Amino acid sequence: MTLLPYVGRRLLFVLPQLVGILFVSFLMVKLIPGDPAVLMLGPFATPDSLAKLRAELGLDHSIFVQFLIYLGKAARGDLGFSWQTTMPVTTDLAQRFPATLELVTLGLLLALAIGIPLGVAGARYRRGPLRAAADYYGLLAGALPDFWLALVLIYVFYTLLAWAPAPLGRIDLSILPPEPVTGSLLIDSLLAGNWETFQNAAAHLVLPVLTLGLINAGPILKMTQATTERMLDSDFSRYAELCGLPHGIIVRQAFRNALPSVVTIVSVLYGFLIGGAVLVEIVFSWGGAGQYAVQGVLNADLNPVLGFVLYSAVLSLVIYLLVDLVYFAIDPRTR
Amino acid sequence: MTTPAIEIEGLEVEFPRYGTAPVKALRGIDLAIAEQEILGLVGESGAGKTTLARAIMQLVPPPGRIARGRVRFRGEDLAGLDPERLRRLRGQVMAMVIANPKSELNPLLTVGQQIGNVLRYHTGLTGKPLRDRVMEMLKEVRIPDPERRYDAWPHELSGGMAQRVVMSIALICDPRFVISDDATSGLDVTVQAQVLELLQRLVARHRTAMLFITRDIGITAHFCDRVAVIYGGEIVELAPREPFFANPHHPYTVLLLAAFSHNPRLRGYWHRQGTSAGETGPAETGCPFAPRCVRARDRCRAEAPRLRELEPGHFVRCHFPVER
Repeated sequence: MTLLPYVGRRLLFVLPQLVGILFVSFLMVKLIPGDPAVLMLGPFATPDSLAKLRAELGLDHSIFVQFLIYLGKAARGDLGFSWQTTMPVTTDLAQRFPATLELVTLGLLLALAIGIPLGVAGARYRRGPLRAAADYYGLLAGALPDFWLALVLIYVFYTLLAWAPAPLGRIDLSILPPEPVTGSLLIDSLLAGNWETFQNAAAHLVLPVLTLGLINAGPILKMTQATTERMLDSDFSRYAELCGLPHGIIVRQAFRNALPSVVTIVSVLYGFLIGGAVLVEIVFSWGGAGQYAVQGVLNADLNPVLGFVLYSAVLSLVIYLLVDLVYFAIDPRTR
Repeated sequence: MTTPAIEIEGLEVEFPRYGTAPVKALRGIDLAIAEQEILGLVGESGAGKTTLARAIMQLVPPPGRIARGRVRFRGEDLAGLDPERLRRLRGQVMAMVIANPKSELNPLLTVGQQIGNVLRYHTGLTGKPLRDRVMEMLKEVRIPDPERRYDAWPHELSGGMAQRVVMSIALICDPRFVISDDATSGLDVTVQAQVLELLQRLVARHRTAMLFITRDIGITAHFCDRVAVIYGGEIVELAPREPFFANPHHPYTVLLLAAFSHNPRLRGYWHRQGTSAGETGPAETGCPFAPRCVRARDRCRAEAPRLRELEPGHFVRCHFPVER
C-alpha cells in the first residue's frame, strides 16, 4: 500500500501552497482602492493622526515587508484585528466559520440526497416522465439565483404560512446559544443536552439549507446523470448486458464507475460554497464567514478578508486531500 | 432431424441514417447451428459479424434494429420472449466470448466478483459454494495461480489472462450455445494458439454448440464442423469443412484462401485480384462483391445472386461460381 507516503508527500506541499495563496490574495486585497486609515478615522481626521495610524497599521512599509510581517504574525496564530468588530479575526472566524460550515455541509448533503437518485434515475430511464423531470429540474436549478429562491421560500414559509422562524440569524435572540465546542449549534446543543436549543437551531437551518440544497442539486444531478449514462453506454455495461445481469445491477455498477466524477463536483462545490453561499447568508442574516469577508472587502477591513482566505484555503486543501483518499478507496487503478 | 440449437431465418438488421435510407448491416441471413456443432463464420471488418452475434443475443446496439427475420433458440422465437426471460437466457444458456476483453471487464470489480456475479444472478448461488465454483472454473481455463487471480483487478491482467477470464464468464453457467466473437484477435500468436485450443477443448467437454466468428480463415480449418463466409451482410458461402477448403466456389472465399496459400493456381488468382481490387465497399445493387471481383460480368452488377446449393450441404451465392 502506497497510501501513507502519498499522504505524507501531499502534506509536505500544504505549507508552501498556503503561503502562495496568501501572497496572491494579499496582493489582490492591497489593490482594492481605499485607505483603511481614512475609513477608520472618518473624513475629519487630521493628516497627523492619519499618518500616525498608518504607521501603527504598518501601512508605511512596502507591500512585501507588510506581507512578511503579516506572515510572521499569522505563524504565531495572530491574524490581526478587524476594525469593524474591534475583535481579533481569529475570534470572529471561530464563531462565523462553523456557522458557514454547518450551513454548507447540510445544504450539500441535501443536494446529494436530491441530485444522485434523480441523476441515476434519469440515466436509467432515458425516455419518460422521470427523465423529463430530471432535465427540467437541472435546468431550473441552474437558472435560478439562490438568493431569489431564498426570498421566495421566506415569503411562503415565513410570511404566508408562518411555519419557519424569522430569517434573522441562526437562533432566536431569546434563546441562549449553547457553550461553543465545535461551533455547530446543532452539535453543541446536543452535547449540552439542550433539546429546545437544538430544535430552535434546526428550525432556523431549514430554509437556508433548503435553498442551498435545491440549487446545488442541479450540478450534482447533471454530473451524475451524464457520467452514469456514459458508463451505461460503455463496453463493460454492454458486456454485462450480454452476460444477462439484471438491469438494476448494471445501473448500480455504472453509477459506481461514475462516482469519482460525482465526488469531484461535490468537492468543488464545497470549496466554492464556503464563500459562495454569501448571498444566502445575507438573506438569512446568518452571520457566516462569507458575509464577514464581504463586509471586510467593502470597508477596506483587510484582516478579515485575509483570514477568511486562509481558512478557506486550508479547508479546500483538506477537502482535496480527502477526495484523493476517496479515489483511492473507489478505484483500484489509482492504488 | 432434431431441432437445431440456433436457427436464423431471413435476419435483417438496419442502422437508420439521418435523411437517407438506413444502412443494412445484415441483408437476410439464414443459418442453422445444430446441437454440439461448431460453425465458423469468416468475414472482414464491417461484414456484419459482430452485428450478427449481437442480433442473435437480441442486443443490437441502438439505434440499430432488427428489421426482419427471426432467431430461434431450440425452437423458441427469441423476439417473442419477455425481457426477463430473455435476460435469463443470456449468459446462462447462450453466452458470448468477446474480443478486447480488457475494456469489456468492469474496472472496479475483481476477477472473482465478475465471474461470480454472472453465476450468482443466474443461479442464486452465494458464499463459499459460489467461490468454489468460480475457482474451479479458473482452474479449468488454466489461469496461472488462480488463487491470486481471483482477487486481481482487470487492469492487472495480461491480454491472454483477460481472455481466459472472459471465457470463464461465458462458460460458468454451462451454456448450450456459445458465440465466440473474434475472441483471439488481440492476442499474440502463441497465446492465440493456447486460447483456441482451450476453447475447443472446453466446448467439446461441455458439448456446447458454437458460432465461431473470426477474421482468420485459417483458424476455422482447425476445428470448425462447417464454415460460412459473410460479405456485405450476406452469407456468400456455406459448407462442411472438408469440401469448403477442398473446393471453394465463391470468388471471395477463393480470395481469402489465396491470401494464405502456396498453391500456384490460387496465388495467381490472388495476384490478379490484387491488381484489380481497390478498397471498395460492398455494392448496393447486384452482387455485393462485384466491385472487387475479377470474374464480375454485367449480370453480377445488375442482379443479386441467390444462395444456391451446388453440392449437398454446400451453398454458394454467386452467378458464376469458381470450379476446380
